[in-house]
Amino acid sequence: MVNTAQWSGGREMEPPSSGAPRFRGAPVTVRPGESLVSALSRRGLPILQRSIRYHRPRAPFCGVGACTQCLVRVNGQPNVRACTYRPLPGDRIETENAWPSPTNDLLGVLDLLFWRGIDTLHGFRRPRSAAPVYHRIIRRLAGYGRAADTVPTTPVGAPVVRSTAVLVIGGGPAGRAAAGRLSENRAETLWIDAGPLPDSPPGVTALPRTRAIFLPLPDPAAETPFQLLASIDGVRAASIRARRVIVATGGFDAGLLFPGSDRPGVMTAEGALSLAVPGDAPPFARALIVGGGERAALLLERFGTFVEAVVAPGAIDPVVVERASALGVPLYPRSLLRGVQGRRRVRSAHVAHRGAKERFELRCDAILLAHRRVPNAQLLFQAGVRMHWRGAGGAYFPVIDHDLTTSVPGLFAAGELAGFTGTEAIEASGRSAAEASLGRPASLDALPARVPADGPHELEGYYRELLSGQFASGKLVACACEDVLLEEIRHAVRDGYRGIEVVKRYTGVGTGLCQGRYCLPDALLLLSILEGRPPESIGYITQRPPVFPTALSTFASLSDCAAPGGS
Amino acid sequence: MIAPARPEYRVVVVGAGVIGLYTAYHLLKGGFGPVLVVDRGFLSSGASGRNGGGVRQQWETQATVRLARESVAAYRRFGSDFGYNVWFRQGGYLFLASSAAEVGQLRSVHAVVQKEGLASRLLAPNEVPRYAAGLALDGVHGASFLRSDGTLYPFPAIWGLYEAIRSLGGEVLLGTEVLSVARDAGRVSGVSFVNGSVKTSVVVNAAGGWSKEFSARAGLAVVNQPSRHEILATEPLKPFLDPMVVRLSDGLYFSQTMRGEIVGGLTVPHPPGIGAGMATSPHFLTSMARALSTLVPRLRSLGVLRAWSGFYDDTPDGLPVIGEDPRLTGFVHANGFGGHGFMLAPAAAQRVAKSVMGEGTDLDPAMFAPGRFLGAPSPATVERLQLG
Repeated sequence: MVNTAQWSGGREMEPPSSGAPRFRGAPVTVRPGESLVSALSRRGLPILQRSIRYHRPRAPFCGVGACTQCLVRVNGQPNVRACTYRPLPGDRIETENAWPSPTNDLLGVLDLLFWRGIDTLHGFRRPRSAAPVYHRIIRRLAGYGRAADTVPTTPVGAPVVRSTAVLVIGGGPAGRAAAGRLSENRAETLWIDAGPLPDSPPGVTALPRTRAIFLPLPDPAAETPFQLLASIDGVRAASIRARRVIVATGGFDAGLLFPGSDRPGVMTAEGALSLAVPGDAPPFARALIVGGGERAALLLERFGTFVEAVVAPGAIDPVVVERASALGVPLYPRSLLRGVQGRRRVRSAHVAHRGAKERFELRCDAILLAHRRVPNAQLLFQAGVRMHWRGAGGAYFPVIDHDLTTSVPGLFAAGELAGFTGTEAIEASGRSAAEASLGRPASLDALPARVPADGPHELEGYYRELLSGQFASGKLVACACEDVLLEEIRHAVRDGYRGIEVVKRYTGVGTGLCQGRYCLPDALLLLSILEGRPPESIGYITQRPPVFPTALSTFASLSDCAAPGGS
Repeated sequence: MIAPARPEYRVVVVGAGVIGLYTAYHLLKGGFGPVLVVDRGFLSSGASGRNGGGVRQQWETQATVRLARESVAAYRRFGSDFGYNVWFRQGGYLFLASSAAEVGQLRSVHAVVQKEGLASRLLAPNEVPRYAAGLALDGVHGASFLRSDGTLYPFPAIWGLYEAIRSLGGEVLLGTEVLSVARDAGRVSGVSFVNGSVKTSVVVNAAGGWSKEFSARAGLAVVNQPSRHEILATEPLKPFLDPMVVRLSDGLYFSQTMRGEIVGGLTVPHPPGIGAGMATSPHFLTSMARALSTLVPRLRSLGVLRAWSGFYDDTPDGLPVIGEDPRLTGFVHANGFGGHGFMLAPAAAQRVAKSVMGEGTDLDPAMFAPGRFLGAPSPATVERLQLG
């Protein structure tokens, strides 16, 4: 899935009046098609949000409209993702959950006051007569934006309703290869992606800017067993019925836990790429790239002169070494981040070689996470596909047959999502899935190599060291959406609560706006270490629809979702 | 714990939901151990971890109001009794009636509730905004409100009970299914698991949505019927809604949690039974979104964060089943709570424990005893307020 796309931000807007969009009262220059975050970043990385519990300053992180760190209020409507919202003339943009501003927020004192955290599980119980007061205070602190001032009047538009023989989800290399092969075979094909799509091959209908949000369990008895719900531009609903589905949603750049990992300036590779169009200077001058693989190479290519160093938990690929040495960027393989200086903006990072006690300080103003890709597998989980843990990938991947069939008949997984690496293998898997969806015998004698299923992920060693280390001060925020601290997870395990499903309910980890996207992959590794059993026995949380938060009005506009047993 | 510590228990409770745990707690408090609680899932994997957290005292039947009232008192004390804060917030329950007949139903509920000394109020449509602002009131014919009703977080209640049971010497065996109930001369004599068995003379069926299945494993046909109900949560907002709002006509209910999310559901038809699993249906998402955004128009653009479902454990008369099964000595029912086990658990489980311990309870057998469904042509009393 092309995840760097920008769309209108998933909110119905009041009809715009005229004049430049205004951010906190001041006009802001926005180029056509540009996101608010990108526009504001020309003046430096903006702090748009305060965190939900401790009011810690937060700056844009994910760049794909999934995390909690850039919510703003637009024309009286709350919780608009500034990284994917494209301002229109006349828009009035305010910040939320901070006073007087997210940069200087009085309630930021909570972070210092409750330096060891707020225990809402055991605290605030006494005296009993104070309960109503506690309730009032804690409720006021919770939540992000205020409910909408007015009822949005712009209609979301009639839903797009389609039916097709084959549905291809994902516009990356695997999806493109699948759509191409289906076109050659003149198969009736619909091709969607959350972002833009290239010119579609003949006979293939493309629906760009269409984000798949819910792929329910198929109805094997129906002529079109699959029904996909999607949102177009984050607002308009789409309902697509299909006989066969090829899911090629790729992966996303994962988060990483270290002391200060929620500080402004720490962001995913996708987040960094969304900040500025190529050719424009990014809102950082000395970035630390974390990771030594393909994504790190891409960031080096894009941000070369703005990169201070490359730090990788494991080894560093030759292509990264080559590019970095051409730029004169120092490399730190097999190293970990022991801490970050800077409260409202990363100022430096403490780095240590793995196994070594001494740490050294690297000056930097951004930390770009490019160390790990995790499959975008939510749709497969929703559709009931059997998944298995692939150790070296450190994540759950679909169990697939030699022809890319999943455990759900008619549903195929291809590309990075299915664990393939390298453009050649990814494209071959897309073509093969297309053949299989047409009922042809597998075109590949053998599947291309996938992420190895055995062997520990390189972060397991990393986190073992992190957990055995001593952190004198500061919070380790294991779930940034809900401000869940690593210490709370440790406590839960110590008190006998085991497995991710229970620890999620006990601590709230993974229950925020990103639905665990940026904390669960690592929480599994952390729990595996804390509980002393392999990650695959920690379980996984049920992936609940929708994949991305979707407006009530988008769902409400759909009328063809009949009751079970209906037509 | 992965295996029971003893070969024999005085009581085995099947189901580690709020009913089973509260029952075990009351038994241990009464000195009626050793007690083993067994559950096939993890803690809070069933309805006790899937409900909307509502606790109300507005019911049609006086006995239910009494149990609910006692339960409200217990939840107010929960923090001091169990060390966990369930954030029981008494923001009230607002029932909306959409027809004259429904107004009539609220009026009779009001009469019963008042008789129990609770200050519920009947509201005209124009009084509703004082309790919940921003509702589209066309179609609302009347309402009722009781301030001392409220909402809580179900999870900490489960943790608190779990820890209390363990510190009283009880055992909780998770991830273990009870496969059969052994009998000896018409009495319960033990239960067996995949890899072992224990002796006991009392089994409590507190299996919630799985209670029908479990009774069948003991050779007992029961009238309980599990049904799937769906629920969703939205993105968190600053507090703007105090009460739980329930609409009688379609079962729409929603409240705003301490975290700011709107959590609520709506009754959509599903075939009975647990076979279809706990998946979310597109039909629920669309009908719930339509109902909620029509009643509260300014929430239209609010994002749905996640949706899930769970099982009610319904009975024909809408009342729970509490007490020993007349067909099998030692087999005690603590089920049939519909979708309202959490609301009644503290008080109801105390009666379950009393009946296990051979003490009498104040419950009318014609309303609550398992025998009421055996041979009787139709139940004597019916509780129809099965919403929210």
